[in-house]
Amino acid sequence: MREFAVFWGCTIQTRFPFIEKSTRLVLESFQLPYRDVDGFTCCPEKSLVNNIDHGAFVLTAARNVALVDELDIDLVSPCTGCVSNLATVKGELNANPREKAEVNSLLKEVGREFKGSSRLQHLVPFFHDAVGIHKIRQKIKRDFTGMRIALHYGCHMIRPSHALKNDDPLNPVKFDNLIRGLGAESLQFSSKLMCCGQGLDRVDEHDRALDFARIKLKELRAIGADALVLCCPSCFLQFDNNQFLMEKEGEKLGIPIIYFTELLGLSLGYSAEELGITNHRIDCSPFLAKWEELSSRPAPSVGIEAGLTGPNVLG
Amino acid sequence: MLDAKLNFKLLEMCSRCGACYSICPSCMNIPGYDPRAVIKDILNGEHEKWLSSRHIWECLECHYCLEMCYQHYGFENAMTALRNIAARKGLHPPQVKRGWEMFVKTSRLGEPALPARKKFGLPEPKASGAEEFRKLYALLQERRAAGNKEDKTK
Ligand code: SF4
Ligand code: SF4
Repeated sequence: MREFAVFWGCTIQTRFPFIEKSTRLVLESFQLPYRDVDGFTCCPEKSLVNNIDHGAFVLTAARNVALVDELDIDLVSPCTGCVSNLATVKGELNANPREKAEVNSLLKEVGREFKGSSRLQHLVPFFHDAVGIHKIRQKIKRDFTGMRIALHYGCHMIRPSHALKNDDPLNPVKFDNLIRGLGAESLQFSSKLMCCGQGLDRVDEHDRALDFARIKLKELRAIGADALVLCCPSCFLQFDNNQFLMEKEGEKLGIPIIYFTELLGLSLGYSAEELGITNHRIDCSPFLAKWEELSSRPAPSVGIEAGLTGPNVLG
Repeated sequence: MLDAKLNFKLLEMCSRCGACYSICPSCMNIPGYDPRAVIKDILNGEHEKWLSSRHIWECLECHYCLEMCYQHYGFENAMTALRNIAARKGLHPPQVKRGWEMFVKTSRLGEPALPARKKFGLPEPKASGAEEFRKLYALLQERRAAGNKEDKTK
């Protein structure tokens, strides 16, 4: 496997260091060749930077990609927005030689060059494609059989597909495959692919952002999901933090939000404390308690031999 | 240099299509959010009336419209272009202004939370690229200014 840099992005490092923790724990468990790289800036966040200055958006992303290009390694990120923004710019520049030359003439002044040769991947498709479900199954200590999990892909894990090219943009399957590989049921529900709506919280529309969160969380409550699993810090902010704010106003929906790396970490045998799950705003203990209870139930095959050899055999 | 552009030919097709309206999450959930109306106005040369509307900031950039568009264009391009123009006139939401200021100043949208890193036993954060970024951004602005001058003398 080619070495890769982990691109943490601003949100995880600023607000959710425990996500960095669980990500490192799972990367290390699988002995994946990752490293930390000096000099990254914000990816940059598209809805903010691109709306104000497209040139700054392109240049900043191109510089970040140039840092991994230079080292001749790939890039993996546990943030959907970061990967999507970096890949969008990589795609734009690789398709426009003139723009690429323009960008490179600027980068040259600070001693860098954008080649656009490194592979940029989000952690979920990376685990699906590069690690593989088979290897994951070999490694885990305990799976999630009996748990009912709702998935939230996060728009930017899969779109824009011309840049990311990692799954079907309108009917993705890889995250589902991973969850099923971990033994859980991946629930199908009507708002499954709906955008989280966190973007509204970045343009002074907090109430509208809550409206979006509410739609999905209410549906999850109605279908009895044990947790919402996702792998994007913005989506996490939307469903954990904003759900908590709703709870404080008396609207309790009670859906535990679990990061993909935390779910994987649990199955590898790490505790909720080690993974930082206890740092979430929304209490995850109902999810953990149910999982605990399921695993203390005897497997269906227990006692089968006694039944076969006991006095009642053959009457 | 490096500016986003609107494609009127593609917008012309949009005005006769509207297919992505039925998949767009903002169209479905935000009363009054309707890029079809925006596109009609752009084509009629009346885009100005949307510049101070909050609706142009309600596009979630989820790229649904882009994915299902037969011309691989998407409502979002029209919305982005209007946001660009609005931002240039200083009509962007205060939160966006604050975020942009922070980005230009620090090259990031927040700094690593050091006490929490310690608590979780995380390594020291890697060196920031802020200084190089600022230099690069200043270069971009210089080039733009020089380009504008050239345009004027032509
Ligand atoms: S990108 Fe914007 S316009 Fe397009 S579907 Fe999403 S919210 Fe709607
Ligand atoms: S963006 Fe594409 S799908 Fe949407 S209205 Fe325009 S042409 Fe139709």
